[in-house]
Amino acid sequence: MQDRLLPYWLLIPAFVIVLATTIYPLAYSFFTSFRAWDLTQSRRPEGFVGLENYVYAASEEQFLNSLWVTFIFVITSVFLTVVLAMALALLLRRKGPMHTFTRIVLILPFAMSPALIGVSYRFMFNPEFGVLAKGLGAVFPALEGVPWLADPQLAMGILVLTDVWHWTPYMTFMCLGGLASIPRETEEAARIDGASNLRIVFGIILPQMKGVIAVMAVLKTIFALKMFDQVVTLTGGGPGTSTETLAYFIFNVGFRWFDMGYASALAWILTAIMMVISIWYVRMLLSEKKMATA
Amino acid sequence: MRKTLSYLGERALLVLVSVIVLFPIVWMFLTAFKQSRDAYSVSLNFKPTLQNFVTVFSDPWNLGSMVLNSVIVATVTVAIAVPCATLAAYSFSRFRVKARKFLFFLILSTQFIPAVVIVLPFFLMFRQLDMLDTRLALIIVNLAIVTPFVIWMIKGFIDAIPTDSEEAAMIDGASRLRVIKDIVLPVAAPGIMTSSIFCFILTWNEFLFALILSRRDAVTLPVGLVSFRTEQGDLWELMSAAGVMITVPIFIMALFIQKHFTRGMTAGAVK
Repeated sequence: MQDRLLPYWLLIPAFVIVLATTIYPLAYSFFTSFRAWDLTQSRRPEGFVGLENYVYAASEEQFLNSLWVTFIFVITSVFLTVVLAMALALLLRRKGPMHTFTRIVLILPFAMSPALIGVSYRFMFNPEFGVLAKGLGAVFPALEGVPWLADPQLAMGILVLTDVWHWTPYMTFMCLGGLASIPRETEEAARIDGASNLRIVFGIILPQMKGVIAVMAVLKTIFALKMFDQVVTLTGGGPGTSTETLAYFIFNVGFRWFDMGYASALAWILTAIMMVISIWYVRMLLSEKKMATA
Repeated sequence: MRKTLSYLGERALLVLVSVIVLFPIVWMFLTAFKQSRDAYSVSLNFKPTLQNFVTVFSDPWNLGSMVLNSVIVATVTVAIAVPCATLAAYSFSRFRVKARKFLFFLILSTQFIPAVVIVLPFFLMFRQLDMLDTRLALIIVNLAIVTPFVIWMIKGFIDAIPTDSEEAAMIDGASRLRVIKDIVLPVAAPGIMTSSIFCFILTWNEFLFALILSRRDAVTLPVGLVSFRTEQGDLWELMSAAGVMITVPIFIMALFIQKHFTRGMTAGAVK
């Protein structure tokens, strides 16, 4: 009798934590999203306003701007991270002292605090004394005196760069895991037949990595949608609103302007986007597993 | 000839990758040991000093209290999340619990909820309870991020342990809890250790929650970085010294679990 209930007893502590710390806040902000609540005016939610917060979002320029910024950021950072990680994994596949060293070095960016990454890139791209701004100016005279973070496009570029620097190592390890699991016979046979390296990579290796690449892309999309820390420490959303991502915009609405109702509605829009991608992702994982066990 | 060329090319690329990865880190470490006038030049010719570390640990920066906050928040979060997660992971791994798929899916999917959604209600709640700017508040919110992640990771490690000796012990009359304590835990220890370190790193680097929920007393290291942005401009040499304090413990831990790192990363792939 006792043994029959034991599996549930074991689950209870973890479930209490998860329910209290995620499901409850999620439900709370869902209800808040249908209310008017200016925290500077009132300690409690004011009136019930129906879908007004959502309707307002649909026409607000700053929100639409943040959606666009997020879209650009997600597309570029996902594309670059996945391509670089794949290339790096192919490079690191062989064994050797230099390979081992690089693998160890690659652990560091992922362990580094993203807020700190933002700070250090801001330092390195300072036009007056930043080492990268100076170094690039010395090597390419055309880049001398470029106001890196004060230019909307360049600021976005550097934001993407910090994210790619942070995530490519993680994704490289995922790729290496995938590469290790595909059989080498076809590749060796093709090599004996004299196929070129490019042919082998594009004709034999990449098609077999399709599953892994898809998982990486979706996963990176989720991380990129969540990205927040570097926006605060690198650009502060600027110049203007050119790097103001959705997560950062929600933070501003909630904790600078204290409009809780609107912030909750925006947060739920972001959650909805993430949910769609997540469900797709978990489905993909489950079907991958099925394929692996079959 | 072509072989040697491609061999050299591969080496060169690897060197380039290592340089790109290491450069920002090395530059931060160098800046941390520069005097403030050297910090604003790119010259490598400087007299190293420990003054920045002395400065950040004294008034008005008081990095010491931030170090303490970060250590306490990360340690307590790990101490709560890992035991609870281990029990749940064991249950998921060994029993056919009713609605098991649904429950596991529920746990996994909470990982994808954006942190900003979680922090909003908590901010209001802690404000109501007068708990803003406390370590306890940060611990509670960090559990939200870390717990599902650790359950998933530890389950991976427990799944890999064969069940034979557990079954044998049960035939001999040992209870389940005894089996968990005496048979499963010792074998799963390295995996649990790796998960704990991962969980520590996540909490240690956490920025959004601490930025919103702390003001003065409970400020953690990543948020402390922002305070070196003063009206006189950014104090880079002090920021770098603080950055060294943030990264050194984490780098040591990451290298310590280096072997399991790849596996942990892939196991945590759903994070």
